[in-house]
Formats: sequence, structure tokens, C-alpha cells
Amino acid sequence: MIGPVETAAAFILFAILAVALYHQWRQAKRLRAQLATADAALERLQQTCSRLAPAGIVQQLIVDEIQSDIRLAAERKVATAMFVDLVGFSAMSERLDPEVLLRVINGYYQRISDALDEHRGHVGSFVGDGIVAYFGAIQPNPWECDDAVRAALAMRTAIREYNVELERDELPRIAIGIGIDRGPGLAGLVGSSERREYAFIGRTVNLAARIQTLTRIHHVDILVSEALRAALAPEFILARMPPEPVKGFADPVVTYAVQGVQPVLSRQA
Amino acid sequence: MPSALEHVAWEACLVEPHSDKGLEAYARRKVGIPVPSIKFFVPVPWLARALVDLHPEYGLLVHLDQNVADLITLVVSQENSCRFCYAAQRAMLWGLGMSEARIQRVEQELNENLAPRTTAAIAFGRSQSRSGPARARDARQALRRAGFSDDEMKEIAFTTAATDFLNRAYTIPAIPVRPLERMPDQLRMRLLRPLIKRLLEKHRSRGQMSAPERTPASPYSRLIETYAGSPIAAALGRTVEEMLASSHLKPRCKLLMFAIIARGLGCEADALEIGEALEREGLDKPTLMRVLTHLDAPELDDIERLLVRFARETIWYDSAMLQRRARALLDRLSVPQFLEAAGVASLANGLCRMAPMVMEQP
Repeated sequence: MIGPVETAAAFILFAILAVALYHQWRQAKRLRAQLATADAALERLQQTCSRLAPAGIVQQLIVDEIQSDIRLAAERKVATAMFVDLVGFSAMSERLDPEVLLRVINGYYQRISDALDEHRGHVGSFVGDGIVAYFGAIQPNPWECDDAVRAALAMRTAIREYNVELERDELPRIAIGIGIDRGPGLAGLVGSSERREYAFIGRTVNLAARIQTLTRIHHVDILVSEALRAALAPEFILARMPPEPVKGFADPVVTYAVQGVQPVLSRQA
Repeated sequence: MPSALEHVAWEACLVEPHSDKGLEAYARRKVGIPVPSIKFFVPVPWLARALVDLHPEYGLLVHLDQNVADLITLVVSQENSCRFCYAAQRAMLWGLGMSEARIQRVEQELNENLAPRTTAAIAFGRSQSRSGPARARDARQALRRAGFSDDEMKEIAFTTAATDFLNRAYTIPAIPVRPLERMPDQLRMRLLRPLIKRLLEKHRSRGQMSAPERTPASPYSRLIETYAGSPIAAALGRTVEEMLASSHLKPRCKLLMFAIIARGLGCEADALEIGEALEREGLDKPTLMRVLTHLDAPELDDIERLLVRFARETIWYDSAMLQRRARALLDRLSVPQFLEAAGVASLANGLCRMAPMVMEQP
């Protein structure tokens, strides 16, 4: 026979159990929500990191951290390297207030990066006021040479438009020099265990940097190497420059100034 | 139930939905429940049908474990940042009775705690989506080492390629994703869940081998023949045949898009087969070479010029950027032409990624 006391005790016990279960359920729900938020944050972080290095490399880095015995393999590949430099930056940096200078230089970086994104280039690194970019270093791109020159032409247009804005704000105009070469190199994560970056290294990048310095000698803004010219579409308008000696290379280097591109006219038109 | 891809930028939809009772019934018969997204593809019936015909869930896989196929679909959709397919796959797992916590556990375990065979299959899906067929030989050896049979490996290649196709077909026109992402949160859907589960389970069928059918003479007929006797061969053959027969774009334009994507992915065998088909369409070799090398030639008409350039954008892409480029096409193309171009590019990406995996000699 169950008396009122036992019934009350059972009811209280049941109530306590129910409250405990409810708390447990609430806690599990809260933890699941936290886990989902953390997961989404991690995914966002991975996406953000993809701006610093290719998504595949970011994913590999994560796996690399999880499985420390796995090391990233470097690859030998043929790619196109571009070196962009801001002409007269040192003089400008002495004349302008730091805040104004930062605004001007960030505007320049943004426009160059946009042109690279638009034409499937990848920013390798910002070197002072210079930018090293690659085409075809991350994923195979049979059209990397045309892409690189189209990106350079887009940069020329973007800087021209930026100068109109700068003049309107009574700021000094800027100018850029661009050097492009295509050839073999080593692609992969380069650096110390504390700090690494995805890079394409070798003679090709060095030559692109040297060719960029020749833009001052030839008084042009875009120069490409002989190797790159040979792979370009016929619609690009190029002018051959006289050979010039450059540091680190035995023979004088022949370059071509990029004057523009003409549309391919349809024969059916 | 937040999806891991909800932060991926996704443009407003580029096309309007249209009603077509025949196509809607066709999709419902295959999937078991209404497929609202099919309405966006109504102007191009072959594409609307292909979206259900080539889905690895419905009667195509004979040898590969369906759970492994589900994980490949999830991983490849994640790699391609296809919010639509990722949400659809999650919604399907939810519809089949998986709890929110279990789905999240599956997502978290994609990198760990899986059987070696499953891990190898997922790694293959990832590698194909990231690197294309360039590493097909290594990927195939890894699958063989994990103990997969030739037939299973072919179905892994198909599942990956079909997902690559579906991902692009839904991403290019930016098919709305919110209804799918929010589906498990809706009271109506929660109440209908037991019914959805029954209907999905009923239609989520395994394929059966049958006598090989006639393979239509077209580019990729050799690839399709490698699946002879499998339901995959019939589905692929019909899709390629209907795609080429559709009249919104000229066959030469479609073949040029295929050739560009084959070249972009480094598929020399495919490029050769497509080159022969293009010669039959009156395009000479020097012109083809020029198009393949520089994405242009004076012999191309305006639409070909536009779509040759667009085709290369679909090989490696950022979803939002691809959708912005696709939006620009609508200034120059009609909606049926646009959707057909999206379908052709998507199909080419799938087939070109699959071919080296199943056609190369071991």
C-alpha cells in the first residue's frame, strides 16, 4: 500500500529528476550552440586565411598541425611572376604625414590587389612598397601569361583613375613600374617554423624584380621578358627595348614594353 | 541548424523560377518529395533533368557504399563552397532522421576518426576538387591501397564528378539557399519530417547492373563506355546527347567550352576527342589551337567569344566572383542561353575531372 508520504516523496523525486534532466538538456543545447559558433568561426577564420595563402595550403596547414609527421611538399613548376613597385615612394614618404601616406599607399595596394584578383593573380607578398604576385603558381593556368599582362594593363588604368582622385584631394600623383617573367621555380610554404608564407621562388621571380627596375631606364611602366613575350597572344601591342645589363644575370636582358591590347575582330562581323 | 558555409558570400538569384508540371513531376518521382529548385532550370529541360538524373543518391551507385558517397558529396560541396549543395546534403541527412548534433559530428569527423577506406575516398574528393585531374594517378593509387575495387573506384570518381557538376550548376545562377538552410528550423518541416524520411528512404535507391545500352556517338563516348552496364552509363549518355541536341547554343560553342575546360584541367585525351568533334563542326586545327592558347580567335562569333572566356572562369572559382561574372553574361545572352551555358560548363567540369581517373591505364 503506497501512502500519501510515499506518493509525495516519489513526486518530489520525480520533480528533482525532471529539473535535473531539464538543466542537462539546456546545458547540452548551450554547448552544442557554442560548438556550432566555434565551428562557424573556425570556418570563417579559414576563409580569411585563404586571403593570405591558397585555401588548399591553409587546409594542409591545419592537417599539418594535427598530424605533425606530415610535411608540406614543395613543387617545381613553371609559373609567371610579376613585380610591382611604387615609383618615387621614398621621396613621397618624406613629404607626407604618416596618416596621409598610409591612406595613399593603402589605396595603391587595394587597386593592385583588385586587378590581380580580377585576372586570377595571387599576391605572394608585400615587400615595402612593392608587391610580388604569381600567376599559375597555385593551380594550373594555361593562360597565365595573357592573364598577367591583362592584370598589368588593368593596374595601369586603375592607377590612372586613382591619380585623378589624389589630385582632387591635392595629394601627389603616384606611378608604378611592373616587371613580368615566366619560367620555372619552386612553389610551397617558405620560412621558419614560427613564420611561413606561400611563395614561388627562383630565378624567374628575381628576373621579374630586375626587369621592374628597368622601367625607370626605359621610361615605361610595364616590361615583360622575352620568355613571356613568346607566350603572349598576338593582340598585345609590344615595343622591343634595347638589351640592358641587370644585376645577377650574365647577359644583358631584352625586354618588351607593353603599350596596349587591340580587340580581336571577328571575321564574321 | 547553422551550416558551416553560411558565411560564404552568395549573390541574389540570377534567374526567375517558372512552373513546368512535367519537369516538376519528373523530379518528384525520382527524389520522392517536391524539388522546388528545379523551377529555376525550366527553360533548359536537359539541365533540369540532369540535376536529378546525375545525383548519386538516386539509383546510380551499384558498388560504392552510399554513406561513403554521402560524405564525398558533402566534402566536395564544401571544397567548391557550394552553399546550395552543402545545405541540400545537410537537409537530406536531417530528413533521413539524423539529429542536428549527429550532422555536426559527421562534419567534424570529416578530418578524423573515420575508417581508412572512407578517409581515402574523402581525400580523393578533396584532391580532385582542389587540384583537378593533375594528381589522378596518385589519387587512384591511394584508393587502391585503401582496398577499393575498380568498380568502386569508378563510382567514387563519378560521385565526385557529379558533385562538381551539381555544385557549379547551382552556384553559377546563384539558386537561393536560405529556404534549404532554414528548412530544419521550420515547424511545418519538423512536423512533416517522419513523412519526408519515409519518402526519401523509399526513393533513395541502389542501382542495378543491366545489359549495356547503345552509347551515343559523341565526345566522351569512350568515357561513358567504361561504365557499360551501370546505370551511370545510361544517365551520362542521355545527358550528353540531350545537351548537344539542345538548340539554345550552337554545338560548336558548347564543344569549344568543353575544349577550354579540358585544357584548363590539363586533360589532353579529352581535348583530342573534343578537337575531332570540333573539326566535324567546321573549326580548323589552327583556329582551335589559337582558341585553346589565347581564349580567342577572329573565327569566333560574339557568343562563342563570350562563353569561351566564361568557361575558364568555372574551373577554379570563388562563388561570389563567379556569380558576378555570370550576371554580366545576362546583358548579352537570353535566359535560356545563359542557363544552357551554365549547364554546359558545369557538365564539362564534371566529365573532364572524371575522365583521367577512369580512362588512364593503371
